[in-house]
Amino acid sequence: MRIGILKAYILKEMNELVRSRLIIMVYLLPTMLLLLFGYGIRMEVTHARIAIIDNDQSHLSNLLTSKFEHSKYFDATTTFMDEGEALRKIKQAQSDAIIIIPAAFEKRLLKGQTTQIGIYVDAAFPSRGSTMESYVQGVILNAASGLIPNATNGSIVINQRTLFNQAMRDEDAIVPGLIGLVLLVAPAIIAALLIVKEKERGTIFNFYASPLTKAEFIAAKLIPVFLLHSLNIFILLLWALYLFEVPFRGSFWLYWVASEFYILVSISIGILISVITKTQIVAVVLTVMVTIIPGFMYSGIIMPISSMVGMSRYEAHVFPVMYYNHILYDVFLVGEGLASEKTQLYLVILALYGVILLGLGALWLRKEIK
Amino acid sequence: MIRIFWSIVGKELIGFIRSWQLVLVVLYMFSVEVYIAGSGIEINPRNVAVGYVDGTAGGLSQKILTHLHGPEFLAPRRFNSQSELSRAIFDKEIIVGIVFDEDFEKKWRQNKRAQLDILMDATAASQAYTTLNYLQHIILDISKINIPVDIVTHKLFNQNADNHTFMALTELLSIITMLSIILTAVVFVREKEQGTWDLMLLMPVNPKVIILAKSFSQIIVVMTGIVISLGFVVLGIFNVPVNGSLSAFLLLSFFFVFAGSGIGLFIAAIARDVMQVAQLSIVIMMPLIFLSGAWTPIYAMHPVLQYVSFISPLRYYIEGSESIFYRGTEWIDLWPYFLGVIAVGGVMYWIGFRKIGRLF
Repeated sequence: MRIGILKAYILKEMNELVRSRLIIMVYLLPTMLLLLFGYGIRMEVTHARIAIIDNDQSHLSNLLTSKFEHSKYFDATTTFMDEGEALRKIKQAQSDAIIIIPAAFEKRLLKGQTTQIGIYVDAAFPSRGSTMESYVQGVILNAASGLIPNATNGSIVINQRTLFNQAMRDEDAIVPGLIGLVLLVAPAIIAALLIVKEKERGTIFNFYASPLTKAEFIAAKLIPVFLLHSLNIFILLLWALYLFEVPFRGSFWLYWVASEFYILVSISIGILISVITKTQIVAVVLTVMVTIIPGFMYSGIIMPISSMVGMSRYEAHVFPVMYYNHILYDVFLVGEGLASEKTQLYLVILALYGVILLGLGALWLRKEIK
Repeated sequence: MIRIFWSIVGKELIGFIRSWQLVLVVLYMFSVEVYIAGSGIEINPRNVAVGYVDGTAGGLSQKILTHLHGPEFLAPRRFNSQSELSRAIFDKEIIVGIVFDEDFEKKWRQNKRAQLDILMDATAASQAYTTLNYLQHIILDISKINIPVDIVTHKLFNQNADNHTFMALTELLSIITMLSIILTAVVFVREKEQGTWDLMLLMPVNPKVIILAKSFSQIIVVMTGIVISLGFVVLGIFNVPVNGSLSAFLLLSFFFVFAGSGIGLFIAAIARDVMQVAQLSIVIMMPLIFLSGAWTPIYAMHPVLQYVSFISPLRYYIEGSESIFYRGTEWIDLWPYFLGVIAVGGVMYWIGFRKIGRLF
């Protein structure tokens, strides 16, 4: 590596990025994505629209209805329509669940006979369907056990302790994962076009003809994007801490170092794509394919890695987002830091990941016409 | 006119097929990508990793643990001490830890309050919630308490709350969005980049025909992909139920792809090179996809975003598709979705159309 040449080339690349207004995108894109998703994604089910058909109109049924009306999870309305009409409401996606309280509900309960409460849940959105089902059952069982005297005798009390996210805030669970997604997508998409753009325009021949080595060429392409995106590490951290008020329990240095590694990995993915593709469109689609979708799927936001089985478990281990997000959740919520062996291992894997990808990129990059 | 239209469409299609890398990538997205998403991803709490520490002799505790079985739970893993258990939770290998302390069973037998300690990793909130709910159920079952209320639940449209079909469909819809936008935008910007676009507009052919034909060619590509994906993956492998009319879905898809190519046109009009297309389309696409209601229902979002989502054609498309496939909604009740897709798509296409057709 000859420093002087490298500096000149980096300067040229930097100029191009600034001139093509890409510099705005470098900083606009990550922030925009974080804000949109941070406010837009909710895993918890709240405000589920529930229609309660109360055929009994008694004291007890009112008690039950009011339990639903006072829950933050439901927007309950009591109606008097018949079942067919209520079903149609669900079909039109205007209602998420129906609860049917039968006539003579109170009478039977007081006599000690078993009564049935019917619940119809819209499961077209499966996970929401099951979650709503368990919430509704929880409310009913809760109300029912409140009516039974001596419930504490010979019973088991559950003493639960929620770790890492005591308040069960959705922001705390989602925003760290989003940083992992954003820092994977944004650098990769810029890097992916850097080389293939020259191929499509024909300016790559300058490189073929020049005495520049492959390593210098890749370094010159990589360093400007790397430096520009390094700033995003801090911007995103500030948003997370001050806008979303996510706690930060771990070490700042770990966050910084891991993020730099991760950006390097992300850019290497982009450069590798840029090396193997022939046209920009293929590079764009390929980058979207290997970053956005896996970045979201395997980020741990929607499904913990420990719950994955089969193909997706392997795939999760192939993509870098899993390793980085483990560290992210650690520094934000867990606070174990490098004391955990797993974190150490994952940090090493991230670094290796970047080195291997860059190596492959350098290996496959051609410096002559086929 | 018609002849020119079709010859431009043909030219673009040939251009598409010639780039074998692109054909391969598009085919991959419509088949393998949909398959992987459908087969692997589970939003439902499934296979929740449970660990436990058992200080009792193991009568009651084992009885409780046997209730935690698949598909919701992985076989509970035993740990020798509480610190080992919390180590595993901190390393994210275990989501829910249950601690049976020594006098847990004794107290229960003596009709005293027995306490069950549960540690949950709340970063996986929905898994933790569901597990808690399960445990409450199990304990109610065991606790000899009789609650005279029978809850009968019916899950409508998707009885087993099967996530595979749903994920496959969601993935397909996301891919349709992505490709219809990117393919259209790039087809135009490539001409811009090579400087041939101005020539096209100066040709003695009505530029409107050129624009229509070029975007129509990409609509054909995406529609072909949809049909392939529907036939082989969505219906072939996953057996997604079709409770409504398939032709309604195809029609809705057509209008949606049209809307998507409208967005593509708009991007192409602003962008000067493919690099900018890539950036712009991600800025536009990611919110479109993730805020469309496929991941989080619209009414649970921040109020501002709820209003924003009204201008997203994907919102109407996804709700409409869910209704067609699962809810089996009749044609007559589908009109809001058609109206939404056509209205938003029409406006977007018109804006893009006007913008890109202008020479100066």
